Amino acid sequence: MPRAIRGVLFSPIVFALVTALAIGAVMLAVTGANPLTAYQAIVTGALGADGIGNSLTQAVPVTGMALALAIPLRAGLVNLGGDGQLVLGGITAAAVGLASPLPGPLTLVLAILAGMAAGALYAALAAVCENRFGVPLLVSSLLLSYPAMSAASYLARFPLKEEGSSLPQTRQLPDGVHLPSLGSGTLNAGLFLVAAVVIAYAVIDARTPTGFEIRMTGRNARFATYAGVDRPRLTLRLMAVSGAVAGLVGSIGVLSFPYRFIDGALITPNYTWTGLLAALLAGAAPLGTLAAAVFFAAMTTGGAGMERVTEVPREITTVLQALIIVFLAVRTGIFRRQPRGDS
Amino acid sequence: MTLPPSDDGARGEGARVAAKTPRPGAGTGASASAEVEMRGIVKHFPGVRANDGIDLTVAPGEIHALMGENGAGKSTLMSILYGMQRPDAGTILIGGREVSFTSPTQAIAAGLGMVHQGFKLFPSLSVTDNVVYGREPRRRGLIDRAAARRKVAELSERFGLGVDPGAPVAELPVGVRQRVEILKLLYRDARVLILDEPTAVLTPAETGALFDVLRGLAAHDRTVLIVTHKLREVMALSDNVTVLRDGRVAARLRTAATTPAEIAEAMTGRAIELDRRYPAGAIGGPVLEVTGLTVRGEGRPLVDRVSCTVRAGEVVGIAGVAGNGQTELIEALVGLRPPDGGRVTVDGRDVTDAPVAARRAAGLAYVPEDRAEVGSAPDASIGDNLAMGFHRAEPLTVRGLLRPAAVRAHARRLIGEFGVKAGDPADPVSTLSGGNHQKVILGREMAHDARLLVVEQPTRGVDIGSIQNIHARLIGYRDAGHAILLVSAELSEIIGLSDRILVMSEGRIATELDRGEADERRLGLAMAGAAEGPA
Repeated sequence: MPRAIRGVLFSPIVFALVTALAIGAVMLAVTGANPLTAYQAIVTGALGADGIGNSLTQAVPVTGMALALAIPLRAGLVNLGGDGQLVLGGITAAAVGLASPLPGPLTLVLAILAGMAAGALYAALAAVCENRFGVPLLVSSLLLSYPAMSAASYLARFPLKEEGSSLPQTRQLPDGVHLPSLGSGTLNAGLFLVAAVVIAYAVIDARTPTGFEIRMTGRNARFATYAGVDRPRLTLRLMAVSGAVAGLVGSIGVLSFPYRFIDGALITPNYTWTGLLAALLAGAAPLGTLAAAVFFAAMTTGGAGMERVTEVPREITTVLQALIIVFLAVRTGIFRRQPRGDS
Repeated sequence: MTLPPSDDGARGEGARVAAKTPRPGAGTGASASAEVEMRGIVKHFPGVRANDGIDLTVAPGEIHALMGENGAGKSTLMSILYGMQRPDAGTILIGGREVSFTSPTQAIAAGLGMVHQGFKLFPSLSVTDNVVYGREPRRRGLIDRAAARRKVAELSERFGLGVDPGAPVAELPVGVRQRVEILKLLYRDARVLILDEPTAVLTPAETGALFDVLRGLAAHDRTVLIVTHKLREVMALSDNVTVLRDGRVAARLRTAATTPAEIAEAMTGRAIELDRRYPAGAIGGPVLEVTGLTVRGEGRPLVDRVSCTVRAGEVVGIAGVAGNGQTELIEALVGLRPPDGGRVTVDGRDVTDAPVAARRAAGLAYVPEDRAEVGSAPDASIGDNLAMGFHRAEPLTVRGLLRPAAVRAHARRLIGEFGVKAGDPADPVSTLSGGNHQKVILGREMAHDARLLVVEQPTRGVDIGSIQNIHARLIGYRDAGHAILLVSAELSEIIGLSDRILVMSEGRIATELDRGEADERRLGLAMAGAAEGPA
């Protein structure tokens, strides 16, 4: 299958990229900008000496959320509650980090584990709603997300609020409870945590019986049930893992600069939805999800870089992303229709 | 008239070019009087010659069967005739006039009509509304409902369709809905009716009624072209048969002068033994024991206190008109539907409420009716499909890790053992033909070596050539000391394979027959409920 998949998938991706870039170039030219300069600025902004660190920093949460959503998606389950699980993980990590009497490194580990546990339990709740009460996961996960966000917001504004600050944020975490930085930039050890998740997911997906069952459930859930896969149990476990990864991303966000929970800071960059897009585009395959997430992250930082260097607003990169997705969909749609031979 | 043998041989072994025989009195020269004439039709698809110079001649008032296995080119030929596809070469004459359709609309205007396998009806509208839709009779710009109703009633009457024009389509049984489709064509003055596998969705009784309707149409000088792979129906209904194989005409036969075996041989290119009755098995101890199994439905129970036993070395066949509880009974046995009462044991272990995995561990394997929806993941590779159920144990998994090489080896072994015609284990299952798809599922389930094999519709949609192979494998599995519970809508299959036959009616086992007592007439009567009684 790898050959077949590469043959079918690879060319649509190239097609989508080229077409989107061409249309983007026309748009840029119409607004009076030089497309080549703008694209060059995106590339240097994303991958240049100054940009690469930012791109990686951005890639950590986007990839993390993409994985969180890809893991259940691999079995055909859509977790729409990523934002809630992310924020709950973040606020829990912040609370534990501030309250723990243990020494710094231990507190750091404890805060991460607590954040993951909070996300896992909350996501598992959505699975219970489906398994026990027949509320579709799509609905239960999305609806449960809102109270989680509100609760975190309340905690950051009242009980955990930094005294004397006018902002809805917690106190800063003590120095010992910071994720170690890598180099002089914003990049931190969270990169390794997310990388570990990527590797674990890739190995489990390709090389374990459980990963096999997950993939087959995604291909045909009725077939999996017929063959003896316990679907409610699988749903519960996948959602728990998904929530744990989302909670991990939230913890990383809080335990790295600015080392506190700020209300809205985890939500506004749209990690969850960019991540979901990446997971959907890659069919939740581990390495494909990674590639798509890193690409989207690079586009974001590249856009910011372009805005600094040229007059072109950074939104153009969002337009490019949308165009790529649309053309990818169009191209695969055409592929589906061809064998029927209608004309 | 003799044909040079070399000519015959060039078309492949078993090819027969019998004289064209239109109905007596249907005219003089075949070409001049033919209602439908297709000459030298060629159609290529990437990598395939779907039609490779096909000639088809159908006389007015004739019932003509177009036969062939899956992939022989029937569907392509019909979609060319109906204007859905353009041929690469060849000519089409309708009523002696050359035509070149670019759309079905033109084909309909020329007097053709097609009943597709999936009906195209509005369930919420009445029969009349469905029939006149798109061509409503009008009076002063408004739809003349009374005239529409009158016209539809008159058509139904004239052609003996027996359809109530006012009935909502949603309330009609499948067989009657099909007649509404036929009415639609007649209302549009179709002279040639093309039916694509029309009996696939019908019960035996409905099939009989359809045949009466089609004979009536032919008697009214309508021409019927039926696409099918069911030999029995072709023998019962048609005047002439054109058999396709590999995109070419393998034989043109007069039904009255041929035999099912001859048609089957033309379809497959080799001699086929039809309707074989296999010898009895050596019966051992009970493997499946069911007592008082009940599945409640809305109102009447779907499965009503069913008790039965299947012993080692025995095939027990379950017959019945579709919808009499067979599906629910099997679902409850295999763990896909919780029973509301009763007890099920497999090899002595109580599995009444056990999950699927526990049942399989107790010794149950299952080949479901729905191959694509339940029995496999068609988008996944053949290798992965064959690995399912074996993936947690050695040799596929060693120390917790799945070994891709072992998965491939496992797939190659089963593909070889079961003679699946597959290119590469990495190809998706959806690339396989119906018969090979079924062999993948059957092969996987038999490889479990489970004491009990539950098989539903093992040869539905499977080529004739593969049917025999699948039957022989089932009997071989039985003779190896396994118990088999077989559900099938094909009476010949039930009779040929079963050591004992249970007939289900309204959720109960209405009749039990021993292998010696069963014939099609008796089974048919028991299924219809005109029972000799459960004794």
